[in-house]
Amino acid sequence: MAPSATEEMGSRREVWKTLPEPTLYPVKEAKFEKFVPPQVDGHERALAQGGGNASIIIDNGSSSVRAGWSFESKPRLAIPPIMAKYRDRKLGRTFSFAGQDCYADTTAKSHIRNAFEAGTGIVSNWDAMEHVLDHVFLKLGMNGVEGAIDMPIVMTEAVANLPYSRKSMTEIIFECYGAPGLTYGIDSLFSYRHNKGSTGLVVSSSYSATHLIPVYNSKAMLAQAIRLNWGGWHAGEYLLKLIKLKYHTGFPGKLNTSQTEQMVKDFCYVSLDYNNELSHYLDWTGLEDRERIIQYPYTEEVVVQKTEEELARIAERKKESGRRLQEQAAKMRLERLMKKEQELEYYKDVQRKLVDQNKKETRRLLDDAEVKDEAHLERLVKDLERSIKKARTKDLGEPEEEQAAPDFSLLDVPDDQLDEAKLKQKRQQRLLKSNHDARARAKAEKEAEKAKVEEEARRDEERRINDLEGWLEDKRQARLAKLAQIKERDRLKADLGNRKSLASQIRMKNIANLASDTPAGAGGRKRRRGGDDDDFGADDADWGVYRSVAIGANKGDSDDEEEGDEDLEAAVRSLEADLLEYDENFNYEQTLDAQKDWTKSLLHAFRYGPRPFDPGSAAETHRIHLNVERIRVPEVLFQPSSIAGVDQAGIVEIAGDILTQRLPGIAGLNRDDFLRDIFLTGGNTLFQNFDERLRISLKPLLPAESPLVIRRASDAILDAWKGAAGWSSTPEAKRAMVTKEEYQEKGPEYLKEHDMGNAF
Amino acid sequence: MSNPEAQAAQAAHLALIEKLDIHSIHKTFRRPDWRPNQRRNKNIKAILGDASRKEASVIATPQDDSGAVTPAMDDGLSSSGTSTPAVPSSASGSTLQPNLAQASRSLSKLVLEKSLNAASSKANNGTSIFLGSTAPSATYTNIESAPSLAPQKRYCDVTGLPAAYMDPKTRMRYHNAEVFAMIRNLPQGLGEQFLEARGAHTVLK
Repeated sequence: MAPSATEEMGSRREVWKTLPEPTLYPVKEAKFEKFVPPQVDGHERALAQGGGNASIIIDNGSSSVRAGWSFESKPRLAIPPIMAKYRDRKLGRTFSFAGQDCYADTTAKSHIRNAFEAGTGIVSNWDAMEHVLDHVFLKLGMNGVEGAIDMPIVMTEAVANLPYSRKSMTEIIFECYGAPGLTYGIDSLFSYRHNKGSTGLVVSSSYSATHLIPVYNSKAMLAQAIRLNWGGWHAGEYLLKLIKLKYHTGFPGKLNTSQTEQMVKDFCYVSLDYNNELSHYLDWTGLEDRERIIQYPYTEEVVVQKTEEELARIAERKKESGRRLQEQAAKMRLERLMKKEQELEYYKDVQRKLVDQNKKETRRLLDDAEVKDEAHLERLVKDLERSIKKARTKDLGEPEEEQAAPDFSLLDVPDDQLDEAKLKQKRQQRLLKSNHDARARAKAEKEAEKAKVEEEARRDEERRINDLEGWLEDKRQARLAKLAQIKERDRLKADLGNRKSLASQIRMKNIANLASDTPAGAGGRKRRRGGDDDDFGADDADWGVYRSVAIGANKGDSDDEEEGDEDLEAAVRSLEADLLEYDENFNYEQTLDAQKDWTKSLLHAFRYGPRPFDPGSAAETHRIHLNVERIRVPEVLFQPSSIAGVDQAGIVEIAGDILTQRLPGIAGLNRDDFLRDIFLTGGNTLFQNFDERLRISLKPLLPAESPLVIRRASDAILDAWKGAAGWSSTPEAKRAMVTKEEYQEKGPEYLKEHDMGNAF
Repeated sequence: MSNPEAQAAQAAHLALIEKLDIHSIHKTFRRPDWRPNQRRNKNIKAILGDASRKEASVIATPQDDSGAVTPAMDDGLSSSGTSTPAVPSSASGSTLQPNLAQASRSLSKLVLEKSLNAASSKANNGTSIFLGSTAPSATYTNIESAPSLAPQKRYCDVTGLPAAYMDPKTRMRYHNAEVFAMIRNLPQGLGEQFLEARGAHTVLK
């Protein structure tokens, strides 16, 4: 790494402190807002318009059902196509809700059902659809009309809607609601009409799918329409998946698609030059401006701060109880001591009495004292004296005097000069002596060890002072060796996962050897020694076999392995500490810690942005950092298969196909007419730069000098409804309407084709 | 629930729920005799499956048997252009081409479609005729975009950055050595989830 780069990195550890406080965005999700009262005035006005002039317009979208009156400029209500129905057992009542009202109650929330099949524009749950329509009609003030909805209905449906779905919807509208008439149309075509388009390419990216439909003289060329199965719903799901994987170690907040859909809306934008922008997205410079931080709600763990007084009281109480215990112990010891002293007094008394007594009298006295013989008595006295002395020194703090070596006088006397008792004593002395010697030896060894370490440190110090360069070189070499060891260890560890690796093979050989009766592997060593005896275990290194076998067996609980890690790393760390202190060429950047520091980590930048991360802080663990995702998610529209694995061509490729392959094949069309009006509509086209990116990407596919005008709908979300409302009063719409009589005569699959709708 | 505040909140919540509830409202605009088919909820797969089965059965049986299907359907009346004039009108069913749109076509539709078409052609100076009659009809399945023919870019499965490498063990694409180390230390099964986001996971059937 270049020195300048190192410097920049080094300063990064400080630089983040100069960054402004991060902007935190709150989590947004769909929620209940307020009760919407039924609006009767609309119906009254509709009736006042006279028969057949007013109609109810329903933009039956998969993200939102918008409904209102044809004579108004915007829909009266917009609700998500969801319903919740459940039975409250305590109250013995059934509740059902539709639209946002479902979010008002937690039980209702858990019972939400969507009218549309997930991720498509096709209605698949008709009970939910009926509920949603009920809700719509209620809020439009239709309740009170006896027996039927008395207004014709204009409704949007998916491009190339399935015949079954249309049939079911028609049945519901006529059989359940008894509407006098029904017309279907395609939302994006209504939007195009509302924006005064007549010939052009409609690019509609909505919640459930993205459609490209060429329109010629206000008539949709549905046979040339193409659908890409990607919309706002998919984007939300995809972002949710990405966030879950990004924080796969466990994000404590509760994530759902409603939130991620909102994030897509708020923070995502289309990149004008995706690959270029992407490669530099996680660069440290300016990362704080590129990332968006979403703060999830959290509760700060409150550490109860005890007051000084309380702490003092607690300490006092502890001390008090300790003192009491100590006192008790001391008392007991004193009692025991006193008892012993009494005993000693007694035995000494016996001893005194024994002096100058005849044998019989002696026997009597000894029996009285329950002592075997005089030697026993003597021993008892000695023991007691010793233990009393010990207790005294301990209790009263009298200094312990150096214990004299026991008497080993008999050891030098040959056996044949001793009688029975003396021999026994000699054996005892020998035992004592070996004990004594061993202790002395251990002590000496310990001291020698200590001296050796001291000596080494001293020599190290001396060498450093006299030959700094050589000393440093040694340290460097040692450090490199340790690093190599760490590397090797990691490699072995990684290799164990691979059955064909050398490490695994060695391990298998070890296992086989341990299990077999005639270990073959150890043979070489044994032959050299020439013995038949299995001296396994004599060498401490032998036991390493079990270790090497165990590592792979259960990686999870190899504690000693962890310790080994610590050892190596600690060794490196101490060497680095030396180098840091004395080697001027060695700075913090070169240490192992610095290599693993967050300022060097791409994944840190990806997950936690340009600031350090404190895993202990609840606020920081509840944050989501969006960076690459901001351009990655909308980019799926352009590269569906390489980013999200949707095996379809992106919209640029589709548009190119329509404009350069399909349309020129149809006689009588001028392709440039379409190029002059490429029209964007639908909520999923609202991304910043969407139109510009489409222009940049389409340009290379078209002949030079081709016209290329890309425009956005004036209101990409509501224009479909407005277009339908505007269209509903035209003579064409009147012609395209299927009346109740026609339905009854011709059945639910009957459909009239018109410019705004699907072909049969 | 002992404190009055919580009780009041619960009561208010209950009142709100009752206000929002649409189950208890008598809906006069609904026909009381509406009894929907209990098994009307079908997903797209089922709908397409049913349609193709229906189509197969239409081909198998002589078409004049069913009143729902027009006997002379291939006389070029359809504006949607699905008609195939090559098939004689006295056709035995075996020569019919399997076509979803045709299978569910009814006589009444054809007639009315024709009248509408005539009307609109008058209005639009005939443009709609040439547009409609030459094109095959659009169905939900055939308007889907085809797989891309353009060369595919490769992106890191973890960070989304351009990926120059692929790990042969997990098949994940990665950006640099640090990401690779992370990939190799992933817990069992998580690698598949990364692949799933790209649709490259292994599906066991």
